[in-house]
Amino acid sequence: MTVASGLPAGSSDRVWREHLSNLRSLLVLSMLMTESEDQDQISRLALSSIPSFAPARPRAIYVAGAGWVAVEEPCTDAALRAGLEAQLQGLDNVGGEVEIPGDAWAWAFALGGGRRRGFLVAGAAAEPSKEARSFLQVLAQQTGAALAIARLHASERSAAEQLAALNASLEATLAALRRSMEIHNRLTEVAVRDQGQEGLALAIHELTGFPVAIEDRYGNLRAWAGPGEPDPYPKAPAPEREKLLRRLIREGRPTRDGGRLVALARPRGDLLGVLSLIDPTGAAGSHELVALEHGATILALELARLRSLAEAELRLKRDLVDALLDGTDDETVESRAQGLGYDLGRPHRVVIAESNGTTRADDTFFQAVRRAARDLSLGTLIVARKGTVVILANRDVPWEDFRQAILRELGGGRCRVGIGGHCGRPSEFARSHHEAQLALRMERSAGIDQASSFDDLGVYRLLSGIEDLGDVERFVRDRLGKLIDHDAQRNSELVRTLTHYLECGGSYERTSAAIFVHRSTLKYRLQQIRDITGYDLNDPDTRFSLQLSTRAWRTLRSLREG
Amino acid sequence: MSLTVDFGIPGLQVAAGDHLCAFYDGLAERDDVLLPFLRAGLTAGDKCICVIDASDLDAVVGDLWADLGEGRTMVEHQLEVLPVERVYLRTGAFVPDLMLDFWDDIVSSALGAEGFSFVRSVGDTTWALRDAPGVVNQLIVYESRLNRFLPLYPQVVLCLYDIGRLSGEMIVDLVKTHPKLLVRGAIVENPDYLEPDEFLAAHS
Repeated sequence: MTVASGLPAGSSDRVWREHLSNLRSLLVLSMLMTESEDQDQISRLALSSIPSFAPARPRAIYVAGAGWVAVEEPCTDAALRAGLEAQLQGLDNVGGEVEIPGDAWAWAFALGGGRRRGFLVAGAAAEPSKEARSFLQVLAQQTGAALAIARLHASERSAAEQLAALNASLEATLAALRRSMEIHNRLTEVAVRDQGQEGLALAIHELTGFPVAIEDRYGNLRAWAGPGEPDPYPKAPAPEREKLLRRLIREGRPTRDGGRLVALARPRGDLLGVLSLIDPTGAAGSHELVALEHGATILALELARLRSLAEAELRLKRDLVDALLDGTDDETVESRAQGLGYDLGRPHRVVIAESNGTTRADDTFFQAVRRAARDLSLGTLIVARKGTVVILANRDVPWEDFRQAILRELGGGRCRVGIGGHCGRPSEFARSHHEAQLALRMERSAGIDQASSFDDLGVYRLLSGIEDLGDVERFVRDRLGKLIDHDAQRNSELVRTLTHYLECGGSYERTSAAIFVHRSTLKYRLQQIRDITGYDLNDPDTRFSLQLSTRAWRTLRSLREG
Repeated sequence: MSLTVDFGIPGLQVAAGDHLCAFYDGLAERDDVLLPFLRAGLTAGDKCICVIDASDLDAVVGDLWADLGEGRTMVEHQLEVLPVERVYLRTGAFVPDLMLDFWDDIVSSALGAEGFSFVRSVGDTTWALRDAPGVVNQLIVYESRLNRFLPLYPQVVLCLYDIGRLSGEMIVDLVKTHPKLLVRGAIVENPDYLEPDEFLAAHS
């Protein structure tokens, strides 16, 4: 017979004391396990206390979803555990007997508390008393409750940690946003108040603490803010610069270049400027990067605005020049010129420059002419027009010097310059333009590169001024008709040869050099001319008449070109 | 009527002859029990004997001095902080008889020659739990026999145990050998503890 405690009736006082003491110990153990937040510690305490409550050995603790949370021999063997787990699956929520190799008796006590199924497994050489089994059952119950509480704590702790991490992340994001707003506001202020590139560099320097440089695409310094501005400012060779720009375009974001963090200002894809943070130690962080990126955007807007202004001004100038060259009404043109701040009241000449005798008025040639004109203070009304560059020059200079200056800017090559006559009123620009064109054509027909002024054309100027060219053509035809026809039929150059021979004063040597033929060829051609025309080229009257004719021929050709 | 003294933690009282076992989890929790206990003893003019791991000596003594505040001085020999090597293991091995002799000597001396009227002793047993298994059995025997020594003098003994180093079996034995337990800041009366004769008979 046993009592409710599981002790046999008639047990001694000592046994009762031991029993009560075990109960008290189990209570304290439960308190300690329940207070613990460490699931490993709970499992260890539970398993290691089994021998105190029963003549049995600890084997394992299993929790559904978590698996084997603690194992002792022989359950350290994976295959044995797999078999045991299969047995546990077949048990109800109360637990039951299981088979463990080496144990005559083995029991899985259901863990209490929580919603997860679990078992505390013990083994023994013989089945323990009912009292001992009761202790183990209570131990399992308390272990399950302690584990459930610890899991809950862990879950709460994890949630709290996640919340703390989320809060920290949010705070960091907010701080970054605040910094970003500060940067945005400061740089927007620069743009709104039209503080220009100097103001932008200063703002970025104040926001980041780093020195700031703004360069144009060629590496020329446009603005600097902060200490240590280099003097002179270093400029990389053009190929090296282009290589850097290509790399920056390829990267598409601020990129480190030596001791600098560099961003491009590229409105609508046009590379207009470069913004650099001087950071030799690489200390710039995300805050500085944001400032640099915002700054590059503001710089792009500023440079695009400046370019737009420049383009508008250029367009207006072009329209003005076109109007002047086309002979537009004086009052309209003058008011437009005044709008551009240009004084048309000063005397002008129309000057035309062309490259290589062709229409190479590309940007390089235009810029070369513009720089040469600027250096000689010729005025600012310069436009590309019909394959040439037209300058409305407001002062006279040695025009050959101007041509040489263009060649220097080009670094070689060819260039012709035609200079029209003076124009004192806007309506006279068209005439001056026409004259400059004629001077240029005369050069072209003569095959020489020089600066030719219409004022210096002499008889050509006289001939070009004749309104009815029929008489001039008949005059030329009377004297040079046979040679013109011969050239046309035989593809020869007798008229050109005769022209140069007469212009060179009958010198074989100079004529040969001018038309690039051998002296004997020249003599042969002159004999052909004599044979065809019957002229005596040594007769002064004949020579005067023929020189007038050849000049008239050149003038006609030039006029026809126009 | 037995003498009641302040434990050092608000609301906790202990009586002369009490033998307490306190479970702690980590050094911070240990000091939360150890330091108030000693501080209350120093304030009350008790002889305080503290046996702890040598590595903790400076920290514990330093904290106690700091806690006393300016103008407070201890009576000579009032606090004795001893490393475990000089107490539990002074002969190289843990022997319960020698330990009980040690306590008898030091407590009787404190109450006699040194002139104290009450003795508080505290011992941290972490050292034993990392030594050879045999020491644990000896320690439990010693803890049980200590119950015979406690009533001999006006004293309180506080035993500190790191739960992180204890086995469940050890906890059960400690519960059976301590009339009072301090668990997570609360004193738990343990009427079911086993008298030394009972425990040692069952334990042998």
